[in-house]
Amino acid sequence: MINIKQVTRTYGTKTAVDGLDLHIPRGELFACLGHNGAGKTTTIKMMVGLLQPTSGIVEIAGFDVVKQAREASLRSGYVPDEPYLYDKLSGREFLQFVAEMYGMPNDVAAKSIDKQIRDFGLGGFVDQLAESYSHGMKQRLVFASALLHDPELLIVDEPMVGLDPRSMRLVKDLLKSRVRNGGTVFMSTHTLAVAEEIADRIGVMSQGRIQFLGTVAELREQLSSDESLEQLFLTLTEEEPANFVS
Amino acid sequence: MATAEIQLEAPGGKQLPTAASESRAFCLLRARRLNTMAGHALRSMRVQLVSISFASVVMWLGLYILFQQGFHFIHTGLIHVGMRTQFVHAIFNVFFLALTVMLMFSSAIIMYGNLFKTEEVKFLLTTPARPERIVIHKFHEAVFFSCWGFVLLGSPMLIAYGDTALAPWYYYLLLIPFMLAFVLIPAAIGSIGCLLVVRLLPTVRLHALIILGAMVIAAGLYSGWHVLAYQNRNLMTMSWFTDVLTRLEYSEQRLLPSWWLSTGLLEAAHPSHSTTGRPAWLESFYFLAVLGSNAMLLQLILARVAVRCFRVSYSELQGITRSKRNNHVSWIDRVVSLICRPLPATLRMFVIKDLRLFRRDPMQWSQFAIFTSLLLLYFFNVRRFDYAGTLEQWVTVISFLNVAVVGLILSTFTTRFIFPMISLEGRRFWVLGTAPIKRDLVLWGKFWFACVGAIPPCSLLVLASDISLKIVTRLPLVAVIHQVTCWMLCLGLAAMAVGFGARLPNLREPSPSKIAAGFGGTLNLVLSALYIMLIVLLTAVPCFFWTETGWLREINSDQSILFGGTIGLGTPGAVVIGFSLMLILAGCATIVPLRIGIRAFRRLEF
Repeated sequence: MINIKQVTRTYGTKTAVDGLDLHIPRGELFACLGHNGAGKTTTIKMMVGLLQPTSGIVEIAGFDVVKQAREASLRSGYVPDEPYLYDKLSGREFLQFVAEMYGMPNDVAAKSIDKQIRDFGLGGFVDQLAESYSHGMKQRLVFASALLHDPELLIVDEPMVGLDPRSMRLVKDLLKSRVRNGGTVFMSTHTLAVAEEIADRIGVMSQGRIQFLGTVAELREQLSSDESLEQLFLTLTEEEPANFVS
Repeated sequence: MATAEIQLEAPGGKQLPTAASESRAFCLLRARRLNTMAGHALRSMRVQLVSISFASVVMWLGLYILFQQGFHFIHTGLIHVGMRTQFVHAIFNVFFLALTVMLMFSSAIIMYGNLFKTEEVKFLLTTPARPERIVIHKFHEAVFFSCWGFVLLGSPMLIAYGDTALAPWYYYLLLIPFMLAFVLIPAAIGSIGCLLVVRLLPTVRLHALIILGAMVIAAGLYSGWHVLAYQNRNLMTMSWFTDVLTRLEYSEQRLLPSWWLSTGLLEAAHPSHSTTGRPAWLESFYFLAVLGSNAMLLQLILARVAVRCFRVSYSELQGITRSKRNNHVSWIDRVVSLICRPLPATLRMFVIKDLRLFRRDPMQWSQFAIFTSLLLLYFFNVRRFDYAGTLEQWVTVISFLNVAVVGLILSTFTTRFIFPMISLEGRRFWVLGTAPIKRDLVLWGKFWFACVGAIPPCSLLVLASDISLKIVTRLPLVAVIHQVTCWMLCLGLAAMAVGFGARLPNLREPSPSKIAAGFGGTLNLVLSALYIMLIVLLTAVPCFFWTETGWLREINSDQSILFGGTIGLGTPGAVVIGFSLMLILAGCATIVPLRIGIRAFRRLEF
């Protein structure tokens, strides 16, 4: 589903992603981990067409995201860490606009919008202007819009930030359900417990490269440790938690 | 989940939206947003709407009267119809050429912000929307922003001309399509330029803009000089008109859209004077067709450039790293720190912080540069008039008029740049609100920032005007009054912008230009204009009559001018009273808005 071949992306003299090779098959929930500036968001931005690789190829469902950006984005849904909503549109109007953007026929769009409203519990506020929404409401609407066209791939950047426990549970169930139904999920997160709980495979990025690729069990095996993913991550990236206790 | 499974099994069945459906979606999006905003404005902003409409109507009528008087003056001065039309044609050419250049630049700047700095475009680029559709969508927004100013300025002039020239009905009907077709051309050129500059010169885009801007300003100054560097004292004579026409010839290039617009409109306005033998209305339609087809062609070119450039430019622009700033205080900050030395250290830091935020925001300082260029152009041209030789009795009036012009331009500066500051501060209030400082200091910081930025340049401009009009040597006391009036204007306008900015903030809007264009900004602009008028009149009227009855009496025998002297306005006592009243008014205009603002700011919840 996702094929990243020898991708490098530079910002001036700084290399954000350095010769990245990554293949994620259909039906997998992949969690991309790494400290700030490791290259996770740059990788995601290249996958969704916001950035173009300096070298290498990114393919989504067989489509090159540079040469066939529209075909690739038709097959993916993107939930950014800081989502954008039109303040002066209601949630329903926003969903209708997104449906048009993805070329959905009116009857299919109407059914899909109703389904998303039900699934994400948007009924109470979907006809209010988005400017009045709380962070959680916005996040639910953005998930609904990303899934409206039923994409094969869902790309999620920091899905748990600012969510209450109930919403977090909703998101985790949703991601697992997508994968159960044959979809693919690429998730970038700092919430290691969530990655440990739901990811099929994890990739740990550091300085633009994949430092570890595999399951959590494989990571434990590699580091010969039974610690939590948080401790394993810190060990792998050689970052010790700050000692605040004198 | 049934639908999901079916579609996952057959992913190839998904269809990209057609261009027509995409276009429809964007139209619907715009219509819905406009509808929501209009509904919101009608429901909860009625007072603001009425005030803005009233101010716009007053401004429109003022411009209309001004233009009508101007055209009437030309009509009475130039009896020969052909010569008159030729003269008006030349004026239209210059006016629309200047507008072409300004619209090109403003569109380029607006498009840069619209395309590369907004979250909306970031979102749209992740959807299957065509890049050219996104660019055209944002282009139409830029045209709308450029267009309303053009309509507000251009329509009173064109309607006034139609009235004076007794134009037929279809002249008025053609105004809207002519203006719309015209405005699209410079806007499209500016937008294409913006995309190409970002694509070809991504790392030096700002430098390219500065160089281009400097070239345009230089060209404007040169043309201003070229037209006005003329010492013919026989104003409104045939030789004067002929000479002016010769000097305006540079704008009469037949490949310029400004020429198509002015010629097309004049053909429509004068049905009996078609130059080609064809009916004038048909000739006018030809020019409209030329404008329209060029506008459409340029939109097509813009779309093609967008296809080739936009995504890759967007991506490259994100990849540019900003150079690290050296950890030392810049010379500008050192100068401002020196000027603000009498202020407490915390206040000084606020002033320097605001200055840094301002000069590091290209959208802010580029608009500031445009305003400043216009002001400089005015003063550059003022000194070219030979007042001392031909209009000696009006020298005092003109000098006060210059003070008023400085005030009016300053009021646009304070409304555009100072008024939104409190609203913008609201978004960063977590740092100021939790710091161990009094809230009042934030407002005082803005006030002193505005004063430090306004007083030195305004004072210098007024001094330059007084030197060129020989006020400094002939009437030194009037020059002193000008300076004090100017300082009072600066203090009052700064206080009003800060005070009303705190009293009527818009904490939700991140764009300073939109904050300034709202109700609070408009109210501030109107009250500022009123304040300038009162302040200048209080000193100008007694000074005028005083100089008329005193120093100029020997050379002036016009009894109507001396009328003021007979009712006591020409005495030194009247000057002192006027000056004192001006000081009192300035004190009130400084203290009252600041108090209102401080009180509101103390209560404000962020």
